[in-house]
Amino acid sequence: MTAASPTMSAQAVPPSAVAEHKPARFALARKTIMTPILLSLLLVAIAVLTYLTGSRPFNQTVIDVFVRVTLVVGLYIFIGNSGVLSFGHIAFTCLGGYAAAWLTINPIMKASALPGLPQFILDLRLPYWQSAVIAAIFAGVAALILGKVLMRLSGIAASIATFAVLAMINTIYANWDSVTGGTSSVVGIPIIRTIWPYLIGAIIAIFLAWAHAISRSGLALRAARDEPTAAAASGVDIPRERLVAFVVSGAVMGLGGALTAHSVGVVTPDTFYLGLTFITLSMLVVGGMGSLSGAVIGVVLLSALIQILRWMEAGISIAETTIALPKGVQEIALGVIMIVILALRPSGLLGNREVTLFQRKRNR
Amino acid sequence: MSHLSAETVSVAFAGLTALSAVDLQIQPGRISGLIGPNGAGKTTLVNVLTGFQSPTEGAVKLDGASLAGLKPHQVRRKGIARTFQGGRLFRDLAVVDNLEVTGVGLGMSRRAAVAEAEAMLEWMGIGVLGDRIAGTLPYTDERRVAIGRALMGRPSYILLDEPAAGMSGPEAAELSALIRRIAHDLGCGVLLIEHNVGLVLGLCEHVVVLDSGAIIEEGAPAAIRNSEKVRHAYMGTAADTEPPVEALEVAQ
Repeated sequence: MTAASPTMSAQAVPPSAVAEHKPARFALARKTIMTPILLSLLLVAIAVLTYLTGSRPFNQTVIDVFVRVTLVVGLYIFIGNSGVLSFGHIAFTCLGGYAAAWLTINPIMKASALPGLPQFILDLRLPYWQSAVIAAIFAGVAALILGKVLMRLSGIAASIATFAVLAMINTIYANWDSVTGGTSSVVGIPIIRTIWPYLIGAIIAIFLAWAHAISRSGLALRAARDEPTAAAASGVDIPRERLVAFVVSGAVMGLGGALTAHSVGVVTPDTFYLGLTFITLSMLVVGGMGSLSGAVIGVVLLSALIQILRWMEAGISIAETTIALPKGVQEIALGVIMIVILALRPSGLLGNREVTLFQRKRNR
Repeated sequence: MSHLSAETVSVAFAGLTALSAVDLQIQPGRISGLIGPNGAGKTTLVNVLTGFQSPTEGAVKLDGASLAGLKPHQVRRKGIARTFQGGRLFRDLAVVDNLEVTGVGLGMSRRAAVAEAEAMLEWMGIGVLGDRIAGTLPYTDERRVAIGRALMGRPSYILLDEPAAGMSGPEAAELSALIRRIAHDLGCGVLLIEHNVGLVLGLCEHVVVLDSGAIIEEGAPAAIRNSEKVRHAYMGTAADTEPPVEALEVAQ
């Protein structure tokens, strides 16, 4: 933390007694905690319903939803609070996904498929939850290093630079054959078919995002998003606050990458490229970039929509006839719906608001 | 004696001179004025003093130590605050959060910052605005919140860039009273940049007149009021018209 200069420290300005006005400890946390709780309950409800139906394909669909919630909440932490659009975050998902693969594949398979890995990693075989934590830390450290440079840029330059990061990481992972398997799939990652780890991952992401948003850094960053000049004149070190958000969101994206790897058991560089970037950004934008609730609800709604369109493509039987939409309608319809939502509500479905039980009240 | 000073500051943009060899000094507890016609370089000087613009020549010094190379947020942490023309509030945040941002930017915890923000709003007499979203405030309240935001953390100096623009007579009078309290009760050195010459002459102990980037006159309000050069700069002609002091009566 930067220390204020001695000329203007502690003594509060106005003569009136300040100490007695100081809000209770954790007042802010208590006031805002309903949002992550309600969002988590929404996900828990979806998980329980899925568990009760017991359908395998539906189970996999819901796992995908939870993975995407993790990813989109990760995007929100940086994009939502800083207002800087990043096209590069899926690169951290890529780092996380491959890290999980390196740490969990059976050493015998690893030695033949990825001989370039250091010996201690080749010998290692960690449980999936440990690999997920390490994947998140790995992605966070990468975000710290890249962010040191990137966060000095602003506006469109920053967005383009993040896109360059995505392309760079993709190129490295698609060509470093001995460590990443190149463009071919890395197989043999233990597949976790139960829904609960993914639910926990998504909930962790939601609470991390909430904790960041109510932190000093989150407040300062949102101020800088609205008015960078005035924020600087208020003593806010904008590159530093952006870097904090970048690292936290990079780590959450890495966690999402590990979850992706364990949900399908295979990683390829193309899993973590333009397609995933587009779908996750759309979900964030449709839900509302400026709100955590928007991020979560955007994923749930768009995923539901995608699922319905898939069923319709597969065909619905009514009496004797099967009505099916032509293939490809899913992508087109999704694009159209996104454009319509954004035309009607440019700041997304939720805008800047959060779901909560109470009306927002400032005092106490 | 502590002071904030600009020493022979010059600024040139692509060969165009915005400021040439300007000297200026602000002292704690005193209200200084900076006036001049449009394009005189007033805002450029504020930008130089607060680290938003580095001078081409000369230096800004705080108690004799140069502030060269400091970024705006670092200058603010040294206790030099400013406001902007047009307020520039954080539109999506509540008023109290607007003030809180400065507290947090200066290193306070959010709890401490909220406490000080609320006390500050009370001190300014706008405690009722605390919960309002800043983007919904009327013009004059916006200005007052911006001043409150700048006063967080008790800066040694505050530079007010046209705080009275667009205010009615009574509103400007209220603002004058607030500025006096900032200097006398908080011991803050104020630099008041204004188009409203009457307001400046009524408030300041020392007034600097800038025209085309250079100081053409400085001194006590009475001297400025009678200055031929100032009259000329404002009216473009000599002598026969009074300087625009329409708000003078209200301000006093």
